Amino acid sequence: MRRFKNINYRKVATKLWADRYIYLMILPVVVYYIIFKYWPMWWLRVAFYDFKILKGFKGSDFVGLKHFIAFFKSPDFFQIIWNTIYLNILSLIFAFPAPIIFALLLNELSNSKFKRAIQTVSYLPYFLSTVVVVSMIKTFLSPSIGTLNSIIKSLGYEPIHFIGDPEYFRPIMILSGIWQGIGWNSIIYLSAISGIDTELYESAVIDGAKRYQQILYITIPGISTTIIIMLILQIGNLLSVGFEKVYLLQNAQNIRVSEVLSTYVYKMGITRSNYSFATAVGLFNGVISLILVLLANKLSKKYSEISLI
Amino acid sequence: MSIRNKNSIGEKIFDSVNVIIMCLLGIAFIYPVLNVLAISLSSSGPILRGEVSFYPVQLTFKGYENIFSNKYIWISYGNTIFVASVGCIIGLIMTCFAAYPLAFGDFYGKKVYSYMILFTMWFGGGLIPTYLVMQKLKLINSHWALILNFLAPAYYIVVLRSFFSTIHKSLIESAKLDGANDIVCMFKIVLPVSKPVLATISLWYIVGHWNSFLPPLMYLNDRMKYTLQIVLYDIVLQASGAIYELTDVVQTGEGSMLIPQQVQHAVIFVAMLPMLVIYPFIQKYFVKGVMIGSIKG
Repeated sequence: MRRFKNINYRKVATKLWADRYIYLMILPVVVYYIIFKYWPMWWLRVAFYDFKILKGFKGSDFVGLKHFIAFFKSPDFFQIIWNTIYLNILSLIFAFPAPIIFALLLNELSNSKFKRAIQTVSYLPYFLSTVVVVSMIKTFLSPSIGTLNSIIKSLGYEPIHFIGDPEYFRPIMILSGIWQGIGWNSIIYLSAISGIDTELYESAVIDGAKRYQQILYITIPGISTTIIIMLILQIGNLLSVGFEKVYLLQNAQNIRVSEVLSTYVYKMGITRSNYSFATAVGLFNGVISLILVLLANKLSKKYSEISLI
Repeated sequence: MSIRNKNSIGEKIFDSVNVIIMCLLGIAFIYPVLNVLAISLSSSGPILRGEVSFYPVQLTFKGYENIFSNKYIWISYGNTIFVASVGCIIGLIMTCFAAYPLAFGDFYGKKVYSYMILFTMWFGGGLIPTYLVMQKLKLINSHWALILNFLAPAYYIVVLRSFFSTIHKSLIESAKLDGANDIVCMFKIVLPVSKPVLATISLWYIVGHWNSFLPPLMYLNDRMKYTLQIVLYDIVLQASGAIYELTDVVQTGEGSMLIPQQVQHAVIFVAMLPMLVIYPFIQKYFVKGVMIGSIKG
């Protein structure tokens, strides 16, 4: 505490005055963050009340952990958590390696114009909205007008009602996810590949290494740090599945496998106006996600000097 | 790129297979778009028999006539353009104001300020509390809810700060000796040399607003205010075009209706057309953003 006594107030005031334009700049930003980012966090209290929108906090009863316990005890709890985690595990197994393989194959193309053309079309899905993507999925898989079912019918089989069958919900999510992300997510791996020392390849050729050996022993080890970091970050997102695509692909038939935390929060909160319960579920999700992300960050720092903040 | 030995047969097979895989993938990326366009221009008969794939069968413009004569489609287009352009301009200014002090400032409270921004990358109030705050601020059913919901995200600030940090501080210090203040320095010195990254961030805002679905779904409840994605969702995925007074629909009783496939697909195509047209030109800015974002820290 001694240190503070020695503060030269004159100096502090001069410094504050000198930085007045900086403070002027951050003022709108701070105001914005307080109102639209931190005020909602303060409103997380709703989770601990039986909140009535017209009465506010004063007119609502404080109920402690009631809504959290109700959620943990509800018959949907394990199913929803499992649906959320399982979609992420599937995507980790199938969708995560796709852009890596795509980047490796792109890197082997010798014609740079062809390579650039393929790259450009591969970015296309990234620029389409989820509503457009889901509309396309439904068209493509439609039993009457869809291309896939036209092929199935021409082979002499009965058309399959993909969208209405819960069996197909997860494959549709994962495959369309690959389609959406393979090009875009390959960018980071391509840039990692371009950072590999070309001398390594030259000396490998002198030693008689074949192309697949060059990929296996030079390219893949060269981008392994990037792969590991991306993997860890992905694991940090284990409990978050984007709302939009799931919500748009959801229907009465597949609800048992398609209900995830984010859609459940929306349904409970916005559709049924059960604000307290929905906020409790959201807060539970947010806290677990925060812990996972912080763990992931810590882990990834171990693997590289690059901080991921 | 690995180095090849051109004479080896194995290498040639590898190359050809690779080119074939890439061509197939290329078709897979484009096909759904072509299919939507083809269906939007075909007649009902061939569509319902599943005969339309790459190109229109029995060409008709009925779908487009239908939606271009519909005022709600135009209104939603206008609304989307309004939200995207205003959101982009205000967002860009806010992001610059937020990032400049982080890169060039050395002021009391900088650490608190930077943690205040970074913390929101990992934790937030979430869906319902944010909704309740918007309600408290009387922003429900206002386009400002969409704009304010997506203004100066922490990630954009971090990317812009990383770019600003590559600019020499001496430029600013010498300008300050000449009497310029920080705001003048930002507009006169920093922003002119940051045009590429500013382009990246403005495009993030525009594409983000254009494609956004959950916020308008939550905050808007009036067809005069709806954005394109909501109209698309209602017409194509909910098959509830009644509120948009679409002509040419077939009533199937109980208030449900059948909107002809050409009309539905014309709406899909019209909704994605702007992105389709501009993305080949703007993709390089996005790629740049990914690069800056990945080496941040």
